[in-house]
Amino acid sequence: MAKEAEASARKRKASDDVGPEGEEPAMPEPSLLEVETKSGEEASNSNPNPRDSFLFEDDYGCASLCDDNVDIMQHYSDICALDAVKIPYVGDKEPLSSLAIEFQSGSPILQEKIKLLAEQYAALRRTRGDGNCFYRSFMYSYLEHILETQDKAEVDRILANIEQCKKTLQVLGYADFTFEDFFSIFIEQLESVLQGSQTSISHEELLLRSCDQSISDYVVMFFRFVTSGEIRRRAEFFEPFVAGLTNTSVDQFCKASVEPMGEESDHVHIIALSDALGVPIRVVYLDRSSCDPSALTVNHHDFMPTESSTSNVCLLPRPRVTLLYRPGHYDILYPK
Amino acid sequence: MQASRARLFKEYKEVHKEKAVDPDIQLVCDDSNIYKWTALIKGPSETPYEGGVFQLAFSIPEQYPLLPPQVRFLTKIFHPNVHFKTGEICLDILKNAWSPAWTLQSVCRAIIALMAHPEPDSPLNCDSGNLLRSGDVRGYRSMARMYTRLAAMPKKG
Repeated sequence: MAKEAEASARKRKASDDVGPEGEEPAMPEPSLLEVETKSGEEASNSNPNPRDSFLFEDDYGCASLCDDNVDIMQHYSDICALDAVKIPYVGDKEPLSSLAIEFQSGSPILQEKIKLLAEQYAALRRTRGDGNCFYRSFMYSYLEHILETQDKAEVDRILANIEQCKKTLQVLGYADFTFEDFFSIFIEQLESVLQGSQTSISHEELLLRSCDQSISDYVVMFFRFVTSGEIRRRAEFFEPFVAGLTNTSVDQFCKASVEPMGEESDHVHIIALSDALGVPIRVVYLDRSSCDPSALTVNHHDFMPTESSTSNVCLLPRPRVTLLYRPGHYDILYPK
Repeated sequence: MQASRARLFKEYKEVHKEKAVDPDIQLVCDDSNIYKWTALIKGPSETPYEGGVFQLAFSIPEQYPLLPPQVRFLTKIFHPNVHFKTGEICLDILKNAWSPAWTLQSVCRAIIALMAHPEPDSPLNCDSGNLLRSGDVRGYRSMARMYTRLAAMPKKG
């Protein structure tokens, strides 16, 4: 290995000579081992290997097709990014009437449901539809709740759960350094919504931070780690749910649909996050479903964390995080 | 910026701790820039890449680990999911399936796994992909072997 290391140091120099990145990349020719047998001139020649020329990928149109695909994907993600930027990560509080205005030329069922919604709920707060909306809504709603109630006991309770989540990830084989930064950013936010210290923050500051990518995305990622850890820890329990969604193993599901940023959340994710942190979540469903058109109701589901050996559950009767679900998207809802 | 730097320092330390654990991977950070790394990986056994040593270049974005590192082969390789000219790698975890749970080290492991299990249905090197898709495993293996010999192994004599 020592020999290889030495060679790699030299090799790195050779690759520096080749030119700046991003240009038609001159692939520095062969391996470290070969460099030793080559003269420097040969090594820095950008196309020293005429043998390659019998493969003109572009003649087949294949390689360029692949390149096109990359371009299309890039273009698509640019469009999404442009769209998403119009809405901040977490928006301002809006009266529920803004929802009615949005749907005034829409489905009568939805209009009727929005009226019913207005009987129980006062306002909503929109989040960006970037696949992270569930976590982002949960983040803001929960931190705002702590900011308003100054419930120190609840903070102590959730901190104990977070400590358990950390242990879960360690047991599952995650290296500490992969998740600890995300954990400490959330704990920082949690501590700063409690008033009375030098680092305490206001409502306005909470909103600013929730829209600051370097904080907001880290908190989202914290929730993704917690969710993934909980699903894997109780793989047996979650397996049938996961199978119903994706037909993959629990591990693959966590890798592909929980941990990557931008992957949308489903029932499975909500159950796992609610259980792991011991925080009840109410999801109100605004869709066009109706069993009996003459007696419409707005469905909701309360995710009540199950008491388990590792997490203690907060004992409030009413869910403290209430989210409005419209197919494909979560926003925050404020009860009257 | 600060966050990515801190994370990379942790990975740097970890790599030095783990060195003995994974003899197939050697990760080296650039002396002057923690956002540039190179790796030497051994071709997996029982593949046409066996016996070869392949060099990877890592270019790490400032938003790492929220965004994946950019990785490409510096050593020429004939593989369906590696661009023959640029060395670009088509691997989900380097694109939309990336998460901060991955590390530079585990990315190397994933690339070694990709070498052993090519996915010809999403080819970057269509010649290589077409050989496998048409069932010409022997053709693919001999091409891949030839390039391993030419580019990734010490020359004899």
